[in-house]
Amino acid sequence: MKFSVRELVYVAIFGAIWGALELTVGSYLHVIFPPLADTFLVGLLMASLGAIVALIGRRFVPRIGSVLMISIVAAILKMISIGGVTVGPLVAILAEGLLMELGLIIARRPTRWAFVFAGALAVAWNFFHKFIMMYILFGKGVYEVYVGMVQQGASLLRIDLSYALLIIVILFLFRIVAGAVSGWIAWDLGRVVHDRLAR
Amino acid sequence: MTVWQDSRAMPGVRRETFSPYGYLFFFVGTAVTAILAREARVALVLLGTVGFAALFRAPALRLLGRRQLWLFIIPTLLLSPLVLGEPDLYLWRLHLSQEGFWAGLWMVSRALSIALAAMLFAQAVSVSQMAGLLEGMRLRGLGFALGVATNMLPTIQETIQTSYQAMRLRGGFRSHRLRTVKLLLVTVIAGSLRRGDDIVSAAEARAFDPARPHQSSISLVPADLVLAAWFGVLAVALLLV
Repeated sequence: MKFSVRELVYVAIFGAIWGALELTVGSYLHVIFPPLADTFLVGLLMASLGAIVALIGRRFVPRIGSVLMISIVAAILKMISIGGVTVGPLVAILAEGLLMELGLIIARRPTRWAFVFAGALAVAWNFFHKFIMMYILFGKGVYEVYVGMVQQGASLLRIDLSYALLIIVILFLFRIVAGAVSGWIAWDLGRVVHDRLAR
Repeated sequence: MTVWQDSRAMPGVRRETFSPYGYLFFFVGTAVTAILAREARVALVLLGTVGFAALFRAPALRLLGRRQLWLFIIPTLLLSPLVLGEPDLYLWRLHLSQEGFWAGLWMVSRALSIALAAMLFAQAVSVSQMAGLLEGMRLRGLGFALGVATNMLPTIQETIQTSYQAMRLRGGFRSHRLRTVKLLLVTVIAGSLRRGDDIVSAAEARAFDPARPHQSSISLVPADLVLAAWFGVLAVALLLV
């Protein structure tokens, strides 16, 4: 696939905006909520923001691979940041980019619903991220993460621990809905930005 | 031109043993072996990573002096005997688990190995070299995009902060918070895209063509291959043992 100079510059800009949000908002939130204590809120918020930026980028660079390229640029910027290397967000950015790209390829045409689908796929990664990162970094098994997630979810949702499956389903659906809303917002904001530039 | 080639051309400047490919192999290799290594073997991976950093890129060891890192290590080491494994030790009125303590130690070692390898890669390989690596992997245009993004990052960060302060001073975040966040995002994106048009004009004026093949100036050196082979053997050994 061949990108024009303009498209590559737009990929760079959206990658830089995603990277800048990770470096400012992301770092700030990770300090307030240390990663081990709360991956739910920070991860969900940053994944949603990233999905919005990357999907707006897709409206300006309507080519296969553009969202993935935006995520690669954002991940590298996060990697070379002064704050130091944090492996978790790096993996999350790349996985979200890949899933958004996959969603857009499956949907074929860039429509509002394609954006909703891609956004939901990307933010859904946040659910599996904890399992994978806990295995990679800490060697923890799926069961231990599951138990931790249920305990965290029970206190967050104020549901009894015995409803473990319900808690897991709610946590997963919450991410899907957040991602879908991000896709919906991205479609609208893309049009607003387009209109503002046309003035 | 790579650092490796630069140093070769300039007597008196320390020559790099590895090319950026070597540092990439090291990062990926360390991550893979740290994941594959179980229990005490992780400590050996960490020892190897620290040793490599000390020999070839000592500034990466500054990571060990970071407060945030110790804010992660100390609570993990202190909490793991309390929350992991079956309690088999009674100390200072606390029911502790030896298994939990060791599990915490291996967790920290694994996380530290990967973070140190990533830090080493980020320190050893400059942005232009990363762009060269991407071009070398036939990801045409991504190197150019990365260069533009790196140059634009400070401007975008400044735009975000200025726009945020302007909206905050006008009371934007007191009510309609979501609408304000959306407006902030639109302002930042529209402003950045307008600046991007200048970059496009400049690149086109210089007849930059992303479709034209760019020969990557980064090439593999024998030490890179030795490193890749070493990690390959190590990964297979960890899988088999």
